[in-house]
Amino acid sequence: MIAPKQISVMINGKRCVGQEGETILQVAQANEIYIPTLCHLKHLSPWGGCRLCIVEIAGSPKVVPSCSTPATDGSEVIATSPRLHQLRRSTLELLFSERNHICPICSMNQGDCGLQHQGYVHGIDSIRYPYLYPSLPVDTSGKYFVLDHNRCILCTRCVRACEEMEGVHTLDVSHRGIHNRVVVDLGATFGTSDSCTSCGSCVASCPTGALFDKASAFRGKLNSSQIVRTTCLECPVGCGLEVYTRENRIVNVFGDLESPINGGHLCVRGRYGTWAEPRERILKPLVRRNGTLEPASWDEALEAIAGATNKFQPEQKALLVSPRLTNEAAKAVKQLAGKFDRIGTFVAPNEAALCRANGGPAVPASALDQLQAADTIILLGARPSRDNGVVAARIRKAVRQRGAKLLIFHARKSDLDRYADISANVVSLERAFWKQVGTVLQGAQRPVLVYGPNAMTSIGITVMERLIKIFEAKTDGQPPQLIPLPVNTNGSALVAAGIEAVEDVGLWLSAMPPKFLHILASDEPDGGARLLREKHVPALLDEIDCLVVQASYRSALTDRAQVVLPAAIWCEKSGTITNFEGRTLPVRQVLPPHGEARDDKVILETLFS
Amino acid sequence: MSEKPKIKVATAWLGGCSGCHMSFLDLDERLIDLAKLVEFTASPITDVKEIPEVDVGIIEGAVCNEEHEHVLRTMRARCKVLIALGDCALTGNIPALRNQQKLADVMKRGYVNTESTQAGGVPTAPELPKLLTKVRPIQEFVKVDAHIPGCPPDADAIWYALTELLAGRAPEWTPANMRYD
Repeated sequence: MIAPKQISVMINGKRCVGQEGETILQVAQANEIYIPTLCHLKHLSPWGGCRLCIVEIAGSPKVVPSCSTPATDGSEVIATSPRLHQLRRSTLELLFSERNHICPICSMNQGDCGLQHQGYVHGIDSIRYPYLYPSLPVDTSGKYFVLDHNRCILCTRCVRACEEMEGVHTLDVSHRGIHNRVVVDLGATFGTSDSCTSCGSCVASCPTGALFDKASAFRGKLNSSQIVRTTCLECPVGCGLEVYTRENRIVNVFGDLESPINGGHLCVRGRYGTWAEPRERILKPLVRRNGTLEPASWDEALEAIAGATNKFQPEQKALLVSPRLTNEAAKAVKQLAGKFDRIGTFVAPNEAALCRANGGPAVPASALDQLQAADTIILLGARPSRDNGVVAARIRKAVRQRGAKLLIFHARKSDLDRYADISANVVSLERAFWKQVGTVLQGAQRPVLVYGPNAMTSIGITVMERLIKIFEAKTDGQPPQLIPLPVNTNGSALVAAGIEAVEDVGLWLSAMPPKFLHILASDEPDGGARLLREKHVPALLDEIDCLVVQASYRSALTDRAQVVLPAAIWCEKSGTITNFEGRTLPVRQVLPPHGEARDDKVILETLFS
Repeated sequence: MSEKPKIKVATAWLGGCSGCHMSFLDLDERLIDLAKLVEFTASPITDVKEIPEVDVGIIEGAVCNEEHEHVLRTMRARCKVLIALGDCALTGNIPALRNQQKLADVMKRGYVNTESTQAGGVPTAPELPKLLTKVRPIQEFVKVDAHIPGCPPDADAIWYALTELLAGRAPEWTPANMRYD
């Protein structure tokens, strides 16, 4: 590869060095020259719409937007001048007069608003144009965020984030001139939109209060919050999070722009599932007395458990843990092998083989990058739009922006089906069908096969075999890069640590019914209640003498326990997890544990040491 | 030696919450220094009703009704320098929120449909000033010479603007000394 040519540009009389192809704004920013911007965001494509970043170029009578004008070698740029100041000021005054920007009632007030900031930078103390005071709607129908057209400046950062980060293009701009408006799905609302995934990338990109998070509004300024970078524990992708906190509570959660995995993007589970869902936290240990669970001290709870455990032999005791545990908690679990005859982790149906496949040498550490570069993507038995939103976004972008081919084999429909060349929800073994698949796969140079738990069923394996056969018969191109994509956060690492993957909890329990069962649900969002939906499990749990549930959230499962221990949630513990690519990622403590909750690892160590 | 004649000041509040005047009183001991230089005539604080001929007029609040417009035009006619104090005077701000609704709906909401109203009716007494269809900032009616932004502007911003004006300079607003909230 040829290194890009170095160029030299004079900006405000300062000699600035940049690379060929960079914009004037990029060169200026790299050389610490301030140019005001509103519609520009580093990780989105340049738009040149707000006209705040205009600059003068010597020899040209026109001013040009620096965010979308390439810097040319030897040119002379003026970024600060009375003329530019006047022009920028007029632009801002037009923005202020066009809609209803009422700072005192806006949650982005006092430092989080780009428009307000530029008003201060340009010393705007009054507007010379008449205010239009238009009547504009406010869309509060979205589950997690609000679109207030009164505060919109039409910078299209949300539109570009929706297209370039999430790849769904729910947002666009409708109408002309003064009637221009950001529109959801050609005139729907966020509540009725069927393309919106609620990923919140639009909100994270909005420079004003036009898009804001319900759970975050008026909870404190972002610009003076503490920021901790950690890893999302919702799925095995392991996206980087930027957690904003004030006074020991979360103000907002955004994607970490520096993360090599998600580059600032998050799916709805990471962005909102982590903190914006109402869930009942368990804040104190609970012990069942006379049939009812009552709050107790840690000492009382530990005593109750010790009394029960001493009655039983190791073969009568079982420990069932969540696949969300950190690697460190998994190690602590493994060390209890002497106390419990059986230790398992409750993974999803058909996921066990996937957990074993993962972390091995076959999985590339750059699986996401390979997905990004693929020209053909086969999705087999995985539902990334539900389980791994950031992977789904990569697939959407590969198809929509680069024209990659997409083949989906799954029993259930998802939003990705609409982008697929072949979407087979009932797999046919007919020759014509496979011939068609062969045609689509023809010429695939960089194919990728992403497979999820349902690829491990007999039908899934048949499809996999067929696909491999097609690739073997092909004379051109590469065999597909195989990427196993589990649904559970850290299941592979737990299995790698020697913990048994349990797909069918009912079967596992009935094989050797325990008298004492400790379920470590940790911060499972449902508190582990999904175990009760598995066949025979409620009846088998009734047979157990002592059920201990260690969980963060109250659920039907904790309600059945003899003793409930409050566990810390994702932002209250530290350690590492191993993502589906095999990368070890840091989990950092953001807040002290709420109430009397404790880290899973600490609880296990005090309980069984 | 004769003392330098004091600068005459009048203030008025139109459609606002009086917060800007409260903020003005927040000048605290600086009010004593100010009183050495200026003489307050008509003002909600002094309770002088009629605006005399003055050097400086200070207006808080947006123009919401006919009386506001009358007071504003009188002030403009009788003062040499007119200062807009606070966001309502500058932008319409909170009072201008009603501009998105029809005036009749606003009146109905205020006097008839309020949850606590039992037998309400839109007041029609002739001595009441009529509301304008739109609330507007003062510079859309008269020429304004200086602006002090803020909701309310804090005492430091008011002090800065007044001292600059007394020194014969226009206040210069920067990110360090201005706020819209």
